[in-house]
Amino acid sequence: MRWLLRQLEKDLWSPEVAGIGLGLVYVLALWLANRSPGASGTFFNVAAVVGKPLTAGDPANQFFVSMFPPVTEGLGWQFWMVAGIFFGALASVLIGRHFKLTWMPVEQWKDVFGGAVWKRWVIAFIGGVILQIGAGIAGGCTSGLALAGGVQLSPAAFLFIPGIFISGAVVQLLVYRNKY
Amino acid sequence: MTLTIPDILIALGVGFIFGWVLDKGGLNRYYKIANVFRFTDLTVLRFMMTGMLVGMVGIYTLRHFGLLNLTAVTATALAGNFIGGAVFGVGMALSGFCPGTCIAGIARGQLDYLIPGLLGFLTGGLIFGALYRTDLIQWLITAGRPELAYAKLPEILGVEPLLLAFVFSEAILIFLYVLARTQARRPDGLEKVVEQERVLAGLEESQPQAVGD
Repeated sequence: MRWLLRQLEKDLWSPEVAGIGLGLVYVLALWLANRSPGASGTFFNVAAVVGKPLTAGDPANQFFVSMFPPVTEGLGWQFWMVAGIFFGALASVLIGRHFKLTWMPVEQWKDVFGGAVWKRWVIAFIGGVILQIGAGIAGGCTSGLALAGGVQLSPAAFLFIPGIFISGAVVQLLVYRNKY
Repeated sequence: MTLTIPDILIALGVGFIFGWVLDKGGLNRYYKIANVFRFTDLTVLRFMMTGMLVGMVGIYTLRHFGLLNLTAVTATALAGNFIGGAVFGVGMALSGFCPGTCIAGIARGQLDYLIPGLLGFLTGGLIFGALYRTDLIQWLITAGRPELAYAKLPEILGVEPLLLAFVFSEAILIFLYVLARTQARRPDGLEKVVEQERVLAGLEESQPQAVGD
């Protein structure tokens, strides 16, 4: 019992142990709900609240109408899954007493980009924009395409994953330079 | 299609485990994601590959016994899947998060995940949706799309699905073994650089070298 509590309080588990849990997520979602969990779609559903009226001038653009309708028109399965991600991570953080309000990453960021909060916020924002556009082009993100596709042996996942790693490595080479 | 209460509870429960392991895996921290692209910390790769291994075997075993159907996965489009991935990788390396890990990162109290992170996703979503009908986006999402866009590898290769799942999982297992035995390219490379700079600047005393080392 004490051992279990100590495990639950730990800041980090071995990547393999946490990874087994990740595998279970996909087995349970497909088995119990016949869904593959993905996070990026929900952001399109939220953006649709503004996007639907904005694109209403072009009836041929069904993106925010039938593909990703606004969250205000009903909360879908993926929305609840994303809400679950928040609560699951929160439980882990609170049990381990690791919750801390921070304005920027505590590890490593400052050594590379300096201590300015605005710089982190600008890069986080731009990163978010690029991520969501990339997910739109590819048809999903790390959860809904790389993992959900990978576990189902979909070719799309095995094209997406090398794409992420090639460009990610190039970007870090440019950002970190002699520290790469 | 409306969701029943059990549907919502399953979605919340599955997400709960997802969020829990994202935090315990450390995926909701900037340095973990940033360093996998520097190959100095392979946590992300080990976490994802283990998940894929367990998921693949579990799903195809259950499917073999007729206990689950496979949902339509993302359509294969040679250009879009790869180029989309390359665009995605730029954002992921810069920000140190991705959609799911950003949500899990908010739970740690990281305001840069909560405010600019989420606003970035919503802005990007809005831009993509507004440009959805443009020739460029249409080309990207359809170019190189095979006739059977939703076919999975077992059907494409004409192999027994469970067998292929085991072949893939064996390959992942070997890969994981190699990863676990491999020291990351330069373990904590950056921290060492920083430490050396401090030593050079006389801020920290260097460790005395063991005699005869």
